[in-house]
Amino acid sequence: MVDNILEIKNINKHFPIKSFKGYGRFVHAMDDVSFELRKGEVLAIVGESGSGKTTTANVIAGLYEPTSGDIYFEGKKMGKKMNRKNELAYRKKVQMIFQDPFSSLNPTHTIFSILERPFIIHGLVSGKKNLRLEISKLLELVGLEPAEQYIDKFPHELSGGQRQRVNIARTFSVSPDLILADEPTSMLDVSIRMSIMNMMLDYRDRQGISYIYITHDLAGARYMSDKIAVMYAGMLMEIGSAEDVINSTFHPYTRLLKSAAPSPEEGLNRSKLTTKGDIPSLINPPSGCRFHPRCPFYKEECSMNIPEIKEIKKGHFARCIL
Amino acid sequence: MNDKRILNVSNLVAGYEIKKGFVKAVDEVSFTLDKGEFLGIAGESGCGKSTLAYGLMKLLKDNAVIKSGSINFNGQDIQAYSNEQMNQIRWVDMSMVFQSAMNALNPVLTIGEQLTDGIFAHKDVSKEEAKNRALEVLKLVDISADRFDAYPHQLSGGMKQRVMIAMGLILQPDLIIMDEPTTALDVVVQRTIIEKIQDLRKKFGFSVIFITHDLSLLVEISDKLAIMYAGKIIEYGNANEVFLHSLHPYTKGLMNSFPSLTGPIKRMGGIEGKPPDLLNPPKGCRFAPRCDKSLDICFKEYPETYSKSENHWVDCHLYNKDGNSNG
Amino acid sequence: MLGDVFKLFIENKKAALGLCILLFFITVAILAPVIAPYDPKANKIETIEVIETERGRNITVERENSDEFNEKRIYSQTVTTTYEKNTKKFPLNSPPTSEHFFGTAHSGQDLFSQVIWGTRITLMVGLVTGLFTTILALTLALVSGYFGGIVDDIISLFTNVFLVIPSLPLMIVIAAYITVKGVFPIVLILALTSWPWPTRLLRSQVVSLKNRDFIRVSKSLGEKHSYIIFREMLPNMISLVMASFFQSTMGAIMGEATLEFIGLGNVSIVSWGTVLYWAQTNGALLSGAWWWFLPPGICIALIGTSFALMNFAIDEISNPKLRKR
Repeated sequence: MVDNILEIKNINKHFPIKSFKGYGRFVHAMDDVSFELRKGEVLAIVGESGSGKTTTANVIAGLYEPTSGDIYFEGKKMGKKMNRKNELAYRKKVQMIFQDPFSSLNPTHTIFSILERPFIIHGLVSGKKNLRLEISKLLELVGLEPAEQYIDKFPHELSGGQRQRVNIARTFSVSPDLILADEPTSMLDVSIRMSIMNMMLDYRDRQGISYIYITHDLAGARYMSDKIAVMYAGMLMEIGSAEDVINSTFHPYTRLLKSAAPSPEEGLNRSKLTTKGDIPSLINPPSGCRFHPRCPFYKEECSMNIPEIKEIKKGHFARCIL
Repeated sequence: MNDKRILNVSNLVAGYEIKKGFVKAVDEVSFTLDKGEFLGIAGESGCGKSTLAYGLMKLLKDNAVIKSGSINFNGQDIQAYSNEQMNQIRWVDMSMVFQSAMNALNPVLTIGEQLTDGIFAHKDVSKEEAKNRALEVLKLVDISADRFDAYPHQLSGGMKQRVMIAMGLILQPDLIIMDEPTTALDVVVQRTIIEKIQDLRKKFGFSVIFITHDLSLLVEISDKLAIMYAGKIIEYGNANEVFLHSLHPYTKGLMNSFPSLTGPIKRMGGIEGKPPDLLNPPKGCRFAPRCDKSLDICFKEYPETYSKSENHWVDCHLYNKDGNSNG
Repeated sequence: MLGDVFKLFIENKKAALGLCILLFFITVAILAPVIAPYDPKANKIETIEVIETERGRNITVERENSDEFNEKRIYSQTVTTTYEKNTKKFPLNSPPTSEHFFGTAHSGQDLFSQVIWGTRITLMVGLVTGLFTTILALTLALVSGYFGGIVDDIISLFTNVFLVIPSLPLMIVIAAYITVKGVFPIVLILALTSWPWPTRLLRSQVVSLKNRDFIRVSKSLGEKHSYIIFREMLPNMISLVMASFFQSTMGAIMGEATLEFIGLGNVSIVSWGTVLYWAQTNGALLSGAWWWFLPPGICIALIGTSFALMNFAIDEISNPKLRKR
């Protein structure tokens, strides 16, 4: 299992509700989520809002502590409380790109002072001159050329796409082994999304790093990733190679996502959605399979027990009784 | 005048007065819309598509103005209409569905009250009749009658957006302008709303102007497609035609910007660079600085319109009057 | 960024006017000894001049025990000096004249000098209290907002309790108990009663900043708490911190004047509040001695306006919706 960079096992994350009315109850943001990720692999986590995909990224990034379950990074089990040295070492290896390029850069800092931080925290480069050199290289790496034109600017002087490039540069700065990308292109204009995605893929090809790419766009997930995991209401519904999940879709929810995704080729002749309704409340999730109230193939036993996740064919798992 | 024509916009110029000058958000825009047609307007943020929508409704914010051009709606030039005259036709003949239902719905009124208010403002009807009409449209958008007395915060995002569509429908207008009605929603909810809109359109025969940045969605649902860039409509045509045989390099770039779900995976390009500043737009073609096929003339003159067919035209120097490609 | 804020601040007309008024009073306070013609507490001028000095004719010599090598003598002479002392009593309760620009008080003190010297105390109490309150509020806000949890609960509880206690009666009660006289107790009383509002205001901004992505990025990068608080959050709070400083200072000046006016401050010092106090106790209002209460009143109003204007300006700068296009 050495070539697994990350393995998470039966992770639960429940947030306590603070209000008086909901006291003692929990938001079930993640329930029994397990998957593994090989070195150099890209895993896309696909789901609607409230499916727990962002929580998953935050748990792996160490921003939230899981309620239960284990995280193995490079074969080593991560302790609940890390000392500063181990924490820094982990944070150097695992970096996160946030969704909103407008709020993820501090408006009062210049690009230089934003990008120098990772070097300083991890003691990689010292001296203003060296830092400037490294940051210039970094900016050119993410396509902000000439670097001199951007290095002393404030975030508000850049466009959304340029800011997201700065964000990505920040994660590249420490040469991480795993990058968690939380919908990095969803707030950008269509025309620049592809270049950001391509840049991330190129970097992966060169450095052999892994990504966890979180998105709600199934087509984008297929473009970016080797493996796709589909989450619904805090649970993993289907996971497998990108082609298997898209082309031999198993779980009814994945089928729903697939039929809802815009697809210009199909035009108006497409089949209609068979499913209605909304994502269930995570405070009081449905019994049994979380998807059963909306499922077109609903059987009585679906509401009794949570179905086990099982292997349909090699490397393709689904949580469904079908 | 064509009987089928419901809207004819010609040379519309609109924008914002700011300290530094005039931002031409909509620059010499012309297009037509037939009864029952579904026009999709696609463009990146800041290309002026929302200004165009608000301009058509004459609901521009206080520092925004329509400078020139005409808006001919149902044979009337509404560009010259006063505010009172606009109130006569707004919601009755043309209505609008806003981007964020969360902000457009009043949080302290029930959705029933908000729907019936719309009726009372324009029609002299009894309370009973108004309520019946409101329940009718709620049913049309699949919201059960018991939600009539619900407050907006008790509804989910998708339901709120459907209430907005119900409000747009309540007076049976001929034209509904939708400004990014599904952008904030999840794919499944988005799909149900789109299906609803299409069903209702088939049933009542109203026209729709649908504005979004999501081109892959537009191609699939619209009859006609207009691509906007930096305040101009640079390509216009039947949706299929524009998708399969796009002419403008910008359109081509956009079509190459979303990966396919089912087709083969190929490396996609997207478009480098960023849109120009509308305060000082570049001379000549707006897209020239980002265009990889630009000619010298592109930086000097704005291209003339080239019509490939009756229903497909483009503003680009790569095509001359004879239809030959210059590039 | 800080420079930008400052530039915007100066360019704003309201801010510029407010700043001018404040600078005027600060100048007056600094130059008080030069500007004020008289001692603010004196009700007369006493001049003492030497008329003549007369040395006595007789010199007496005293010899002290000397030996053959050392000799020591002491000479004495009487000197008579004649002085002249002129006492010029100020007119009592006089309207403004060329000698007393703002007239004189009931017992003759020069009111112009009092107002000039009063600027010093008033401004100092105001600014020190404002600074003290803001620092206290900012610290509490950062601790409670950033760290959250039980610390937040406790601080928030105290803040809320103090918020519902009306501050003027509280101020009066505390002032009545404090027996130490001087300026410091006033500062303390004012700060103790004015911290809850800015604390609450700043805390809410800390909480909203804490959830912004760039703070989460910093955490995921492994930044230390101190760096996140002081370098990431604080620069984003400058305008609100400045606004609460202006507000607290204004409040402190008003509060000080109020305390002094009702006689709970230290009446032996000279400030605008005490001038008003003496005016009130001597019935200046009833006797129509407008020169007594009007100048300090106007000064208080002016300084209040100055801080209010700067506060508006900060609002306009940090909230672009209010900024003129």
